[in-house]
Amino acid sequence: MKKTTLLLSLLSTVVFAQFNVVASYPYLGRIVKAVGGDNVKVKVLASPRFDPHFVIPKPSLIPAIARADMLVANGAGLEIGWLPPLLKSANNPKVRISSTGFVDASHAIRLIDKPKAVSRAYGDVHPEGNPHFNSDPHNIIPIAKYVTKKLSQLDISHAQEYHHNLTQFATKWKRFLKTFDAQMKTCKSKKVVQYHELYNYLLKRYGIRSTATIEPLPGIAPSSKHTIALIQKMKKENIKMILQDPYHEKKTAHFIAAKTGAKVTVIPHDVGAVSGTDTLKTFYETIATRLCH
Amino acid sequence: MTKKIILLSMAASVSLFAQSELEEVKALLAQQIKTTQALQKRLEVLEKKQTKQAKIAKRQARTIRETKKQIAVAKTQQEEIPTVQTTKTFDQKSFLPDIALILDGSAVGRNVDNSTYETYYMPGFSTYDPSAEAEIPFNKNRGFNFNYAELALHSTVGPYFDADAIFHLHPDEFEIEEAYITSRTLPYGLRAKAGKFRSEFGRINSIHQHAWKFTSQPLAFEALLGTEGINDAGVQLQWVLPTDTYLMAGFEAMQGNNDVSFGDTEENNLYIGYLKSSFDLTDTTTLLAGTSIAHGKNEDGHNTDLYGADLTIKTALDSYSSLLWQSELLYRDKTTDSGSEKQAGYYTQLVYQYDQNWAAGIRYDDLFKNISDQPDDLDRYTAMLEYKPFEFTKFRLQYTYDRSKAFGTDDQRKNISEILLGFTIEAGAHGAHAF
Repeated sequence: MKKTTLLLSLLSTVVFAQFNVVASYPYLGRIVKAVGGDNVKVKVLASPRFDPHFVIPKPSLIPAIARADMLVANGAGLEIGWLPPLLKSANNPKVRISSTGFVDASHAIRLIDKPKAVSRAYGDVHPEGNPHFNSDPHNIIPIAKYVTKKLSQLDISHAQEYHHNLTQFATKWKRFLKTFDAQMKTCKSKKVVQYHELYNYLLKRYGIRSTATIEPLPGIAPSSKHTIALIQKMKKENIKMILQDPYHEKKTAHFIAAKTGAKVTVIPHDVGAVSGTDTLKTFYETIATRLCH
Repeated sequence: MTKKIILLSMAASVSLFAQSELEEVKALLAQQIKTTQALQKRLEVLEKKQTKQAKIAKRQARTIRETKKQIAVAKTQQEEIPTVQTTKTFDQKSFLPDIALILDGSAVGRNVDNSTYETYYMPGFSTYDPSAEAEIPFNKNRGFNFNYAELALHSTVGPYFDADAIFHLHPDEFEIEEAYITSRTLPYGLRAKAGKFRSEFGRINSIHQHAWKFTSQPLAFEALLGTEGINDAGVQLQWVLPTDTYLMAGFEAMQGNNDVSFGDTEENNLYIGYLKSSFDLTDTTTLLAGTSIAHGKNEDGHNTDLYGADLTIKTALDSYSSLLWQSELLYRDKTTDSGSEKQAGYYTQLVYQYDQNWAAGIRYDDLFKNISDQPDDLDRYTAMLEYKPFEFTKFRLQYTYDRSKAFGTDDQRKNISEILLGFTIEAGAHGAHAF
């Protein structure tokens, strides 16, 4: 009797043994969950409340990485300031960079804004290109496909389910993209200013023109000289919209708005960054509504 | 068919009229049939010939096209192969290690002149030796100091090991600060290290000076382990336990060259163990705590036991602003020829990161337990203001009021007031710092 219960309990652990996936950012966690379904357990490392470049490498994040079967990172240098020391401390060869369990989502994306010359004289530049491709919902399916490919490779027994989930997700997402595209079309050739080059993928796809940034160089806090020049430019070119991320200071944006009559619009940078954006769909819906109302 | 009928009927009608003519017509008809048949045959032969020729022409056209292509390829190949070697056949640039350059310098104002400052010691913990050269690695001079240029190299050696080397270049000295290999593929949450490295005993010992929040070393570490801390040749094994809460156990075996606490040179003498844990108190507050023990043999050949406890709490206020409280306690039990010496000290520091650019902090150091007949009121106050115009550029203004030092041979205690303005830069490929 004891033996059978023991066997049963063993069996149940086998049945319920989930595939552990760690995702660096919330949107990646949502994609993994959409494809992985009940077969995967997803842990997200970064909080959507903070700047994705400057996540505190808390040692409390290490156990999840230590037990992970797969790690999905945004890549293109976005995690360079915080993930490497965590990966090093986690002592998990399965998800080390260059192992099969390390999934770099940027590999599924054609990166834009690749700098022609790389030097820290230009601020915090990303040599591989702009890493903020999650602003464009058209990049979700390529990432989901890549994640599915990796999941199916590493967890062969559930490969069919992953592919099935992907098909379902992609169908739903394509339908969503149609309504999203329709909404975004209404603000084509609008001119905007951003704090950081955070929304370039989205703006480029929908023909919205990003004319300048509030920060003088990537990663450098606004200076009065740059701000004054920006105000003049906005007045001259009649730019009426400032795209502000939720985590930077908003004082400069409001100052510029007061001087130019422009409107400050807070655009979330990730799922959960502002209230009411807890799913991928609501995240992009919020972007579209705030950008093209 | 109808033609034949007409012909036959014609022939029949003709036969009615003239039998002889009929014979003639018959012969003519036969002859004509023969010639048509012959013509048909020739036509067929000609047609066959024509299709054959068309096929041949097609084939020839194809071969012409192919040869043209081959010629083109051959031509380009001829153009691309230079007689002079211009390609980088065995170029290894992509295997170059990450190289970082760290520079540190300062301007110091102090109420003690340089020749006196060089003779300082901490009563009960260290002594002044007139015959030895003073070991003050950073900010020794009143006036200007160039402390070091540090060269840090990091490279993956192969599938199994990473290699790191940190060279400290002082104005008149080359020092291998650290040089070690680290395992990449050990299972079960294990990682091994071998070489010369800073021990992960306690909290600050393994952190390089350029990443410290204050420019000076905590008093307890300087008093009990000297300016170098525990930085020695040896091996290390760390294990991340498979628990939900972060738990890490580490073990190190070292040569024990540190002669402040250890230093028995007859054989390797130092063994270190530690346990560290971390968990989130709230969504934005994280705690890191550790206990450490080091057991070794000192220069007298007796035992030294060093115990450490550390606690760090960090609260993120927003993406760029945080509050950090870090404290560490050291207790040393050292047996010498003259008996057992029990000494202890601690530091506690609070650093407020205001934004990406500005930070301020205060620290209190206290050596609260000393050997008999020696003062136990040795302490120090430090305050600093830090400005970082860019992530890898740091300027720091630091004020220190130090009540832990005595000078020269005549046991003269004197409090030091010091103001320091320093800079630290990290250039090149420098990896991110841990928590």
